[in-house]
Amino acid sequence: MAGLDDVFGDLFSNVDGVALFSPSGSYYERFADLEDVEVIVVGTENDVGASTFVELPLEFEDISDRIRFGLEGALDQEIIDDGDTLACATSVFGDDIDTVSRVRADADNHTGIYDLFARSRADPEVVKSVLELAIELGQKGQKGKPVGALFVVGDAGKVMNKSRPLSYNPFEKSHVHVGDPIVDVMLKEFSRLDGAFVISDAGKIVSAYRYLEPSAEGVDIPKGLGARHMAGGAITRDTNAISIVLSESDGLVRAFKAGEIILEVDPEAY
Amino acid sequence: MDWQTLIDEPAVIAAAVLVLGLVVGYLVGRLNEELLTASGVPEAVEGTPFERTAQSLGTSTVEIVARLSAWFIYGIAVLTAIHIAQLLDTDAFWLRVTEFIPQVFVAVLVMIVGFIVADKSELTVGEYLRSVKLPQVALIPKLVKYSVLYVALVVALGQVGVHVTALLILLAIYAVGIVAVGAYAFKDFLVSSAAGIYLLLNQPYGIGDRVRVGDQTGIVQEVDLFVTKIEDDSEEYIVPNRKIFEDGIVRVRD
Repeated sequence: MAGLDDVFGDLFSNVDGVALFSPSGSYYERFADLEDVEVIVVGTENDVGASTFVELPLEFEDISDRIRFGLEGALDQEIIDDGDTLACATSVFGDDIDTVSRVRADADNHTGIYDLFARSRADPEVVKSVLELAIELGQKGQKGKPVGALFVVGDAGKVMNKSRPLSYNPFEKSHVHVGDPIVDVMLKEFSRLDGAFVISDAGKIVSAYRYLEPSAEGVDIPKGLGARHMAGGAITRDTNAISIVLSESDGLVRAFKAGEIILEVDPEAY
Repeated sequence: MDWQTLIDEPAVIAAAVLVLGLVVGYLVGRLNEELLTASGVPEAVEGTPFERTAQSLGTSTVEIVARLSAWFIYGIAVLTAIHIAQLLDTDAFWLRVTEFIPQVFVAVLVMIVGFIVADKSELTVGEYLRSVKLPQVALIPKLVKYSVLYVALVVALGQVGVHVTALLILLAIYAVGIVAVGAYAFKDFLVSSAAGIYLLLNQPYGIGDRVRVGDQTGIVQEVDLFVTKIEDDSEEYIVPNRKIFEDGIVRVRD
């Protein structure tokens, strides 16, 4: 078996660092003892108490998404430099780490997924909760039927000024925040009705039933997406908000920032 | 020998009392253990240093408390038996012992509960403050722990009749100090949160409204308990709610 080391050794020889995706505590400790290797822990939570940590907003099911997001976060925090080669250890089939891939960090491939969470006006926690909510809504739908929904997150004051109510606001004088346990059920019920949900930087649900009135000039979204996506994309160009859209027709969840589509996930994959 | 004379024999009665005491003590011990377990005490004390020490000694907090109650009853039984058998004929001694034993029992119980509550509050406060990444903050859980321990110690010592006046004065100074400093430090927060409660309940203005506070004009972005965030084109003012009550707020309609 000595021959295998020579062959697979290429995968991790001369790497600038090792990125561990959601490692278990004992697994991480084995790496912490190693010298000359920079160890970066990537995961939804820093369970192992690592000093260099990149937070994932979601446990991405797709490996390339997971690694791309992790590296983009690491580049952004300047833990690694453009052009560094990393051995990314992650799990594909089980809960334990079973896969190593050699990836070159490339700043040109910047998609802005990391910015969506870390550099938005809204708190990363809020963006994360709304994304989870949209994904859950996409999985279950309303009584089995697929639903669409549009969440505009952050910069709520400006968003409110660039929209008008379609009906009475059910969240008037209420103080519900995304992440409260009751909210899932409420939003599921209200998602039957048209219009956008407006959520403030701190996660307060400001309004439902909003008709967004941004100017749609220069918004570049793929052809074939409907009015909901167009409105969601355009409002992020006019304000500093981001929008998270659940499509009724194809069931995908998309996130927009600055008028551009940043993230596209299939709820069924989670 | 007649049965009657046998029963009248003090030694026999003493033995019977002793046996009864042992049985009752054992039963009370078991009952306490069951009750404490059923009421979820093992989960509540889990992870506290006291419990861990108990575990390392091969026992547990519940067992210690249960044993304590059992031993308390054993002790009473033994003393009663000695009294009945008239092995020690000292009424004065007897009187003091009967007064003293329950006090010691309560004092030990208070100390055990004090230790557990102190450890538990240290853990809880530590957990709560974990998100604050400041090294000095580690002092606060310790402070809470020793405050609770101190109060438990004062109660326990008071229970066994030690003079605790000086300790009480110290405690009073400490408590007054905390309250005074706290009230002074958080004065603005208290006023702001009182105003914030009104703002949240009545919502005289909401997110998206154009308002003016003092000489700052902008769109309301966020209202929480302590502050209102008002944003101009490029500047965001974070106005304490106290100021909104003092200066008043102007809703700009155009």
